[in-house]
Amino acid sequence: MSSSYEEIREAAELAAAPRRAPERPLLRVDLSTSSIAAEADRLWEALVPLCAERGVDLIRVGTLGLSWLQPVVELERPGAGAVVYGPVPPAEAAEFLDAALSADPAEAAARWLIGARTPEAGVPSLDAHPFWAPQERRLMRSMGVIDPESLDDAIAEGAYEALDRAIGMEPMAICDLVLAAGVGGRGGGGFPAGQKWKFLLGAPGPTKYLVCNADEGDPGAFVNRVLMESDPHLVIEGMAIAGKATGAEYGFIYIRDEYPLAIARMELALVQARERGLLGEDILGSDFSFDLEITRGAGSYVCGEETGLIASVEGLRGMPKIRPPFPAQKGVFAEPSNVNNTETYANVPLIVRRGADWYRQHGTESDPGTKMFSISGALVRPGILEVPFGMGMDELLLGCGGGPPEGREPKGIQPGGPLGGLLPASDLRLKLERPPFTERGVLLGSGGLILFDDRASAVDLTKYFSEFCEDESCGRCTTCHGGSQRLVEVLERILHGDGRAEDLERIGVIDQTLQNANCLHGQFTPYAVRGLVNYFRSELDVHIEQRRDPALAAPGLTRYLVTDPHSAELAGARPLCPTGAIVDRAAPPADHAAEEGERAEIEPAGLTIDDARCIRCDVCRELAPQAVRVVDRFLAPLEAV
Amino acid sequence: MERFAGLLGQLPREQGQMLRALHLAQEELGWISRDAIRLIARHLRVSEAQVYGPATFYAEFRHSPPPQTLVTWCSGPSCRVVGGDRIRRIFEAEFGCRLGENTADDALGLWLGQCNGTCERAPMVWVNGRVVGPLTMVDTVRLARRLKDGEDPIDWPEQPIKIAPATFTGAEEVYGSAHAAELDGAAR
Repeated sequence: MSSSYEEIREAAELAAAPRRAPERPLLRVDLSTSSIAAEADRLWEALVPLCAERGVDLIRVGTLGLSWLQPVVELERPGAGAVVYGPVPPAEAAEFLDAALSADPAEAAARWLIGARTPEAGVPSLDAHPFWAPQERRLMRSMGVIDPESLDDAIAEGAYEALDRAIGMEPMAICDLVLAAGVGGRGGGGFPAGQKWKFLLGAPGPTKYLVCNADEGDPGAFVNRVLMESDPHLVIEGMAIAGKATGAEYGFIYIRDEYPLAIARMELALVQARERGLLGEDILGSDFSFDLEITRGAGSYVCGEETGLIASVEGLRGMPKIRPPFPAQKGVFAEPSNVNNTETYANVPLIVRRGADWYRQHGTESDPGTKMFSISGALVRPGILEVPFGMGMDELLLGCGGGPPEGREPKGIQPGGPLGGLLPASDLRLKLERPPFTERGVLLGSGGLILFDDRASAVDLTKYFSEFCEDESCGRCTTCHGGSQRLVEVLERILHGDGRAEDLERIGVIDQTLQNANCLHGQFTPYAVRGLVNYFRSELDVHIEQRRDPALAAPGLTRYLVTDPHSAELAGARPLCPTGAIVDRAAPPADHAAEEGERAEIEPAGLTIDDARCIRCDVCRELAPQAVRVVDRFLAPLEAV
Repeated sequence: MERFAGLLGQLPREQGQMLRALHLAQEELGWISRDAIRLIARHLRVSEAQVYGPATFYAEFRHSPPPQTLVTWCSGPSCRVVGGDRIRRIFEAEFGCRLGENTADDALGLWLGQCNGTCERAPMVWVNGRVVGPLTMVDTVRLARRLKDGEDPIDWPEQPIKIAPATFTGAEEVYGSAHAAELDGAAR
C-alpha cells in the first residue's frame, strides 16, 4: 500500500522537526569532500562527546560553499539565529563550542565567526559577506542546511513535491514547461533540455533510457560533486520527472570515480527513495514506474562527451561515436536515450514547482536562470556559489572570490576546463552567459572558473592543457591524438628555449587539423593554444624570440642564482635540497689560491647552485629569499657579482 | 582470488557489468591481474581482449600491484598556477621514480591524480587518499622524506567518514537500522 505524497510529507516534517525548528542547540557540521580534506571528520569525532555533554544536537550537512573557511560549522539555537563559523580546527572544538554557546557569541567566538545565516541579534549577517551577498541560491537553497543523508530532511524542504505534480501532468506538458523555462544543458552545451526531451518522447519505445552525466572531468569544476554530496534527492527527483516527461522508465547516473562521497550519498539516496515509494514500480500510487542505477566511472575525461559516456555505461572503452545517430535515436544499448548534466536535471524540480516565469526572473535571454560556479586558482576566497546568469565575471571572481592575494595582479582566466580556452584579465568585464564567451573564442563550460595571476606562465598553462587533451584523447582519430601530440611537442620545445619563428604557423596548422576531429574533444583541444596566440601573444613571442619566460616560472627557461654565497639561510636550506644541488663553490685556481690562501681560510668559498642538478623546485628560495634569485636561463650572467 | 571469483559470480552476465567487475577486481586484489581479466572474460562471456580494452582504457585501473604508500599528485590547473608542478619534481627527486611509477621496493608510489575539486587546498597531494595541502615546497620535501623513512606523517582517523553516524536526538527513529546493512554494501 503506497502512501500519497501528502502523507509522506507530513510524516517527514514530523521526523525532521528537531532539525528544522530545534528545541535544543543544533550544530551542523559541513561533511563534504572539501571539509573532510580540512579534517572535518576529525572535528566531528571530537564534537560527538562534547555535544553530548552540553546537550547539543549534532548533524552532518552538505556544504554552504565557503570552501576556503573549511571546516565550517553552523550553530542554531532555539529562539535565535543560525550562525556560521569557520575554520574550526579539531583541536579547538571544545573551546569553540563553549564560546559559541555563550551569551555573546559575537564577542566570545569572534575568531571563528563568519556571519549569521538567519538573523541573530548582535551578529553580523552573512548577507553582508562579499562571498554571499550577490548569490541567488536556488539549487543551493538547502545545501549546508539539510542532512544530505536524510530523506525526511529533504522532503520536509519540499523534495519530491514536483515529482508528485509531474506525475499528474501529460509528458508533453512537462517538456513544454521545461522548454518555456529555457533551461539549457549545464555541461556547457546549452542545448534546451525541453527540446532534447521532446526528441526522446517522440522516439519509438518501449525501452528508453535516461543518463545523468556526473562525469565532471574538467579540472577545477566541482559543481556536480557539491550537488550530489549536499542535496542528492534534487538530482534524483529531476531525473524521475524527466522519466515521466520522456517515457523512459530506467536511468543511469554516471559518476566519476574521483567522487567516492558523492557516489556513497547517491547510493544511499536511491535506497531511501525506493523504500519510500518515490522510485520503483507505481510511484506514489500512480502507474508511473522509474528506477535508477549508478555507474561508477574509472578515470576517463572523454567519457564526459555524451556518446563516450554511453559507451562507458555499456561497459566498453569510452570512445565517442560520430553523431548522427543521436542518443535520442540510438543511445544506451542501442535504445533511444537522453543525456543531461547533473545540474540540468537538478533545475527541473524547481521549474515544475515554481513555474517557467519564476525561473526566468533571473538570468538572461540566452541563458535564463541561475548557475553554480566553482571558483579557484589565485583567489583569496575559492569556493562554490550560485549566481544569476549575466553577472559580471569581475563581480564573481574579484568581488565574491576576492581576487588574487595581495601584491599580485590578475593575469588571466581559464573558464570551462581544459577545452575551454584562456582569457586575459581585461576580459573580467565579460558577462557570465554563453554568447560573450563564444564570441571571444572560448567556452563558459560547466561552471569551473580559474583565475591565474602574474606568477603563472600562460605558455606553461597551455602546455598543460594540451598535454591533458593528449592524455585523454581516446585515440580513435589521428587528427585528435596525433594533433595534440604535435602541439605538446611544439610547446615543450618553446618552453625549453628552442622555439622557432615558424612555430606560430605550425600551431595554426595543428589548430586547423584538430577542427576536423570526429568529436568535440578533438575539436576543442586547440581552444587553449588559440587563447594563448590571441590573448597572450606578446608573452609567447618573448618565449620564442628571446628564449625568456616573463613570469620566470618555466623550468626550462629559468635558472636559480645564488646572490649571497655566504647566507646562513642558504646553508640551512642545503640539506633540504631534493637533488643536493646546493654545493660548495669551486675552489679558486691553485696559483690564485696560493696567493690568497690566508684569506680563503678565513672566508670559505661559499655556496652555489649546480645548475645541472637543480630541478627548480623553489625550496632554497623559500628558505633563503634574500640569497637566491630566479633569473632567465639564457640571458643572465652565470654567477652573481 | 577465490573471494573475488565468488563476488564476481554474483554479477549478472552482462556487458554492462564490465566496469563494475573491473572495480571489484581492483578492490579485492589491489590491481587488475591477467588472471582477473581471464575470470572476468569467462564470467561476462566475452573475449579477454574485450576486457583488456576497457581495463587499459580507463586511467583508474592499475596493472601492477599498488605501493604500500601511495602519493597521488594533483595535476589540476588550480594547483598548477600556485606551483603544483614543482611538487611533482620534488617527489620524483626524493622518491627516485617518475610520475606513474613505484619505487624499486614498491614501498612508495607517485601517481597521477585528477582534480577532485578541493582546489581551496591547492597545491596538494593525496597520501593514501587523504588530501595534504596547501603545501609549501619545504613542506613537500619534509613530507616526502618522512614517507621515505616509513613514517605515517598523518595521524588519520581510523575510518574516513563516508556515511557518517548521526547523533542527534531521535536518530534511531529517523534512520533506524533497517537498511544499515544494505547501505554498507551500497556505499562500497
